[in-house]
Amino acid sequence: MKLTGILLLTAASVSLAATVRLLNVSYDPTRELYQNINAAFAKQWKAKTGADVVINQSHGGSGSQARAVIDGLQADVVTLALSYDIDAIAEKAGLLPKNWQGRLPDNSSPYTSTIVFLVRKGNPKRIKDWNDLARPGVSVITPNPKTSGGARWNYLAAWGYALRQNNNDQSKAKDFVSRVYKNVPVLDSGARGATTTFVQRGIGDVLLAWENEAFLALNELGKDKVEIVTPSVSILAEPPVAVVDKNAARHGTAAVAKAYLDFLYSPEGQEIEARNYYRPRSKEVAAKYDRQFPHLTLFTVDEVFGGWQNAQKTYFAEGGTFDQIYRPGR
Amino acid sequence: MSRRTMRMGLAFMMTMPLIPARAQTADTQSTDQKIQQLEQKVDELDQQIKVDERKKELAEEDAAAKAQNAATANADTTGFTIKSNDGNFLLKIGADLQVDNRAYLGQGSSGGVDGMLLRRIRPTISGTVYKYVDYFFRPDFGLGNTLIYDAYIELKYLRRAKVRVGKFKPPVGLERLQSDDDTTFVERGLPTLLAPSRDIGYQISGDLLPNKLNYAVGVFNGVPDNSLTDAAVSGHRDYAARLFVTPFKGLGFGSAVDGGGVDGEPLPSYKTLGQTTFFTFASGVTEAGHRTRLTPQGYYYAGPLGILGEYTLTEEGLKKGLVQRDVAYRAWQVAVSYILTGEKKDFTSPTPKKSFDPLHGGWGAVELTARTGEFSAEHGIFNYGFASTLTSPRTAREWVGGVNWFLNRLVRVSLDYGQTAFGGGAAASLGGNRAPERVLIGRFQINFI
Repeated sequence: MKLTGILLLTAASVSLAATVRLLNVSYDPTRELYQNINAAFAKQWKAKTGADVVINQSHGGSGSQARAVIDGLQADVVTLALSYDIDAIAEKAGLLPKNWQGRLPDNSSPYTSTIVFLVRKGNPKRIKDWNDLARPGVSVITPNPKTSGGARWNYLAAWGYALRQNNNDQSKAKDFVSRVYKNVPVLDSGARGATTTFVQRGIGDVLLAWENEAFLALNELGKDKVEIVTPSVSILAEPPVAVVDKNAARHGTAAVAKAYLDFLYSPEGQEIEARNYYRPRSKEVAAKYDRQFPHLTLFTVDEVFGGWQNAQKTYFAEGGTFDQIYRPGR
Repeated sequence: MSRRTMRMGLAFMMTMPLIPARAQTADTQSTDQKIQQLEQKVDELDQQIKVDERKKELAEEDAAAKAQNAATANADTTGFTIKSNDGNFLLKIGADLQVDNRAYLGQGSSGGVDGMLLRRIRPTISGTVYKYVDYFFRPDFGLGNTLIYDAYIELKYLRRAKVRVGKFKPPVGLERLQSDDDTTFVERGLPTLLAPSRDIGYQISGDLLPNKLNYAVGVFNGVPDNSLTDAAVSGHRDYAARLFVTPFKGLGFGSAVDGGGVDGEPLPSYKTLGQTTFFTFASGVTEAGHRTRLTPQGYYYAGPLGILGEYTLTEEGLKKGLVQRDVAYRAWQVAVSYILTGEKKDFTSPTPKKSFDPLHGGWGAVELTARTGEFSAEHGIFNYGFASTLTSPRTAREWVGGVNWFLNRLVRVSLDYGQTAFGGGAAASLGGNRAPERVLIGRFQINFI
């Protein structure tokens, strides 16, 4: 009897101390952010529960990542570029409820970002705002909106700017965005690839980039190589996060997955996000990093485009405006 | 040398021929302006080259990603397959073709006609979708018929409880469960006559102990012995269960039982090795009441030696007019085989150590085989008029000897000689027995699934 008790206790302690594994399927430019988040969360989880947690990361174009999860990639959590991609997982694979976005604060977006310009040192093409991107002779680098969430933010940011400049005239906005994309020589599949095209391959005059991606490039290359240009107006990007319920339930990781996402809202998580150039939701942390982030007018997808479902259908679906204005190889 | 220095040099060299012209025409642009223009041109060309290189790079990355995810087509000794990169989707194209030559020997045999025939022509499509769902479809065009033999899907999410739905072999006869291309003889033995061939239903099966204890249970429409149908004759169902133990590799034994209500199902006829009918029921007889089959079975394989034994008892209710009685049939067989070329014998066909290739010393594998078995029907069948001793014997006893030559894993040539002796009737003259059937069957077979 005593021996049985010892064995049971041993088994329980072994079970408690077992390593938990999570898979976070994310979009392209979040590698560095989640490396830092994962290390901090693992430490906190160990202190709290005594268990080790190992978080594996998968990165790629947001749309491609969503497709992979739908096709069976066993993500415990998804941290994608836009809510439409998580909606697709909910609708096509039923791996989480359709109301997933209401389960966490701030529409399940623990941090925000925006789209800025990265230009070459000295800004030789004098690019100041969105209208400069449509000028002949300016080469613009942005990824493919069909595969990249970041690219869809870029596209809508340009479109939103044009609407503001043209009294909400959709045809003028279309013409403007068409002229911008006429200046795009190559479309990468994801934001990180576009950064490689601009920074490492030396192609283009301006890179439309996530703000955090622009800061990373600036830090990596130095201010003597590139500069960040903040446009007068841009889009408020709200990258969402969610537990993939059915996968997490199957893996027995639902509790740790939720704790992992909750950590993103914690003061420590918000601090890490700000350090990685994501705009924190926490007012305290935002105030602390106020000087880091330029002030500009931001509009949301809901305000200008009626939400992601509508935006996807109008601009990026088969036969949408992107298909109408962009011809590969042109 | 830096890229800028190169560009300056290039611009300078391109400008050199223009300098005299400048001296000759006062209104020309300054040299600095021309250098600037040329620099711009070089920049544009440089960008164009970089864009082209990047596009090529992206195209290569895209092609590599697609190649990584691309399905692979394979053709080898296991057949022809197309498989997704992750293995979750699979399509196998197979075929089973058997060409027989039958010769009936001796006087007064069975009335069988010597000749060649296409015994089985079975194209097969099988595979997997979404990793856990198998499918199998196999029609047969042999003997001039068109029949769907197998058509089922199997959900294998749980290794211990695979769910199969469709038309397939119920878990009853051991030799029946053996694939056509793996049977030791060209025709199956007498106990298989009493087992169902194919039936439509549901089955759950799996290993209770991995590779040691296998079970299968199912519910089916219910078919007469050695039969297959595509529709239920009555509202009754057959329930089948089989337990099979393999305590160590080579030894396997178990038992199967199936049964259910019957009402009006037509009765089968039973055939010899030469596929001539030796037992038929009287006109107007149908199944009525209940049918039960019990089939203890087993095999033993040790090196090139193989032994397979099986016994089948069928008890069922028969009805003719106002007469209804339960009757029984029994059949057993013992089959022995030995591979002369040293390959190991097991439940499936051997793979020759060297495929047939006489130019390079390959002769395939050769197996000698022998089998004996007996079928018997109880006296009551005749006493109650369900069958007549004028046309159907009460017993049939067979001896078969043969040789199999496996040219390679897929192609096999077989030659079986068999004799079936009859007892208890079916003679042309009153009180005698039907003359023994002696038959020589040759087969050329190719099979891959």
